[in-house]
Amino acid sequence: MSISVLDALEHFKKPTLVILVGLAGFVAGIWINSTYYNDTSPVQPVEFSHKIHAGDNEIPCQYCHVYAARTPSAGVPSVEKCMGCHVSVATDTPEIIKVAQYYADQQPIPWIKVYDVPDFVHFTHKRHIKADLECQQCHGPVETMDRITRQQPLRMPWCVECHTREEVENGRDCWTCHK
Amino acid sequence: MSNKINRRDFLKFIGAGTVGAGAGFLAADVSKMSTEFLLPQVNLPEDYSPGIATWYNTVCTQCQAGCGISVRTREGRAKKIEGNPAHPVNQGRVCALGQAGLNVLYNPDRIKTPLLRDGERGSGSFTSIGWDEALTTISAVLGTLKIQEKADNAYLLSGGVNGHLHDLLALFMSQIGSKNYLQYEFSHPANLYAANKICFDEDALPYYDMRNSKYLLSFGADYLGTWLSPVHYSVSYGHMRQGTDHRGKCVQVEPRMSLSGANADEWVEARPGSEGLLALAMAHAIVENGLYSGADAGDWKAALNAYSPASVAEKCGIEAERIERIATEFASVGPSLAIAGGSACASSNGTANAVAVNALNYLGGNIGEPGGILFNSSGAFWDSARPVQTTYTDMLAMLDSLRAGQAEALIMHDTNPAFTLPPAAQFAEAINAVPYVVGMSSFMNETMAMADIILPIDTYLEAWGDSVPDPGVGFAVASIAQPTVKRLYDTRSAGDIILALAHQIGGELPTTMPWTSMEMYIKDMWREIYENKEGDKSEDGFEDFWRSALEAGVWGERPSPVARTSKSMGRSMLAALDVPEPAFAGNESEYPFSLQPYLTMTFQDGKAANLPWMQELPDPLTSVVYNSWVELNPKTAGELGVKEGDVLVVESVAGRIEAPAFIYQAIRPDVVAMPIGQGHTNYGRYASDRGANPMSILAAETDNSSGALAWSATRVRISKTGRRVHVIKTDGTTRDLGRNILGQSNTGHA
Repeated sequence: MSISVLDALEHFKKPTLVILVGLAGFVAGIWINSTYYNDTSPVQPVEFSHKIHAGDNEIPCQYCHVYAARTPSAGVPSVEKCMGCHVSVATDTPEIIKVAQYYADQQPIPWIKVYDVPDFVHFTHKRHIKADLECQQCHGPVETMDRITRQQPLRMPWCVECHTREEVENGRDCWTCHK
Repeated sequence: MSNKINRRDFLKFIGAGTVGAGAGFLAADVSKMSTEFLLPQVNLPEDYSPGIATWYNTVCTQCQAGCGISVRTREGRAKKIEGNPAHPVNQGRVCALGQAGLNVLYNPDRIKTPLLRDGERGSGSFTSIGWDEALTTISAVLGTLKIQEKADNAYLLSGGVNGHLHDLLALFMSQIGSKNYLQYEFSHPANLYAANKICFDEDALPYYDMRNSKYLLSFGADYLGTWLSPVHYSVSYGHMRQGTDHRGKCVQVEPRMSLSGANADEWVEARPGSEGLLALAMAHAIVENGLYSGADAGDWKAALNAYSPASVAEKCGIEAERIERIATEFASVGPSLAIAGGSACASSNGTANAVAVNALNYLGGNIGEPGGILFNSSGAFWDSARPVQTTYTDMLAMLDSLRAGQAEALIMHDTNPAFTLPPAAQFAEAINAVPYVVGMSSFMNETMAMADIILPIDTYLEAWGDSVPDPGVGFAVASIAQPTVKRLYDTRSAGDIILALAHQIGGELPTTMPWTSMEMYIKDMWREIYENKEGDKSEDGFEDFWRSALEAGVWGERPSPVARTSKSMGRSMLAALDVPEPAFAGNESEYPFSLQPYLTMTFQDGKAANLPWMQELPDPLTSVVYNSWVELNPKTAGELGVKEGDVLVVESVAGRIEAPAFIYQAIRPDVVAMPIGQGHTNYGRYASDRGANPMSILAAETDNSSGALAWSATRVRISKTGRRVHVIKTDGTTRDLGRNILGQSNTGHA
């Protein structure tokens, strides 16, 4: 028994077709992995809620991410800074007890990085804040998220698309990001 | 049938599709970035911004010059050392050795905890102990000596230390009741100090104003390489040569051409030890030709009568006409400057040579004049912080008393006499006669290996301190050394250790030495500068002053110039004018060559040999790297049948070493030269078992007036071992080979 296939494929030899199907499967595999198996919202060691801090209590982003405006990295607050408020605020909740324990042990909280670019990309927060970008433009509505979920692919086409649209000076120069 | 897909083909497609998808899924998984963590600081440090450099100004201690450095730190790690532009010594520049300070800080061979000897003394077997145990043991030993009023049996031997750390060490020793404290450094120019004491009645070096000079006559001083303050003089040299319309002339007198000699207009290859004689012959020519018109010209004429150029020409190996010509140039071009160093100062008549050179300056009218010799201001602060180093003879006296069993305890701080002293000093025997030996050092070395207990000290990039550069820069300058990074290991600064010991010993010491840290002590000492300067004297004012000094790394004040009466100077020089014949160890027939060991800008006296960047740096003149070598004139090499790379035995009355030959055109045929610094046996992975140490074959000749070691007064003989090695160097050949490199017509010569 046999099945007839599209006329266009007729002139291919069967082994070639087998390889082509394999390749199609390969691409599909990559797509499935990066779409459904990519953790854009990892579970953090402490269930910190941006919704409570930035949303409900309207704490400005740069109150905790102090370096964003002046250095390449935005920075995460020191454990000492967390305890600055939580020495008196919500001290009895299980998550704050965890934070207090980290501080008592003088250990850093091992937050998992959600927004990460490879080491060959020279990204700087300082420039983007100077250009008057809102944090939400890249990071999404953080103030509504209990757990941070990555909103953007952080891939080069996404970077270049914005650099082109906004007509960033030298925005398409390789050396702007790859130094 | 090819256009039909049967059941078999269908299964093949399913199989290929599944395998492909699986492989794609795995490939995507493998290429995913691994989980990265965002680790916050627990407590936020001051001056910290991730990705942004913070610069701290401090002082370099890689040599004795005291250059100001700016250390670039990021996230609390030192990354790069540059010169401090505000510092008048180096004016923003820094040498290769200064840059290699990072190799000191991050050196994998650093001692990381206090160590207690657990094997035979000298076996190098130690176990880690805690600070409490270490300090309690040491303070118990010193405290017992103090209570028994036997504190004079406690000895402290230190390497060269900068600034008020010296004062603190001296105070500690006097407080426990011992007068046995001395600082010894191989490269200390003791004869230059002695000569200046004779000529100018001053225990400090004057300022040699090379910058504004038009004629520089250097007797052995390698001012571009190792002499006193090489970075400062390199900057001055640049200005002298190219900073004005009139290019200054440089003449270099030395038996083996140094970097300064290679840059000079004229190289005068006088016999080693005859430099003073040559200077007096030049003085004779100046006076005889009427180029000196002072009131005491008659006295000088009489005193210099025996030193006519014609009569000394043979002894110096320089033609009389050449001596006359240089003397005439020196006296007629103004301002001119004559300086002494290197072999001229390291002969048995080194002090006399340096006095003779000062006499040239006197007759040339250069003293107290811009472009000549200027005097530094003095004052209690500057005097207490100046380096006070003893001579070889004092060191020998101390070692004698150790050998005689007079010492109960010996503290050795940041020093390595086992490497730098000649064998005649019998350093090891002296140490082994002491029942309790404490070492304070950042690194294990030949000396520290003999200690019973070793306290690891901070490197200069981690510690508090201060420094008063000597030679100064003509006005009052002091620098603060501050920690640029948090200490990497469980170490403490030497000052903190001394203060901790003082507090543990107890008695009246906690009252007389009330400081609890080196930082507090330095700050207290700097109060003196503040109190002696103009203006507001409130506590707030001092805090402001301290902060601004800390930020700048240096404080200086240009006071009115120090006036000196040149008349008395002339008299003291006239009285000390006699230059004795240089003495050499080993007679000329048995040991035909004079050995000239020379300090290198890479290793200094060997202290920097454990820095990998310095090991990688080719010597500027020979381009040889990683090893020791013996420099021979091509004529000498021809007579001995020696080619480059032949391993030679260099033998003196004091011992023998082996090193490969290097044929060097710019050396007298009766002289062989060797760089100092290699030949360590126990100084970490980079320095150990590499090259040979010329200091280990030096005879114990000393300067007969100052007592300094005459390290260019040893004669040697050379023989071949028959072995050959490849000399590692970056140069191909020193010959032009028709390439017209110099841009001149090729005469066929090299």
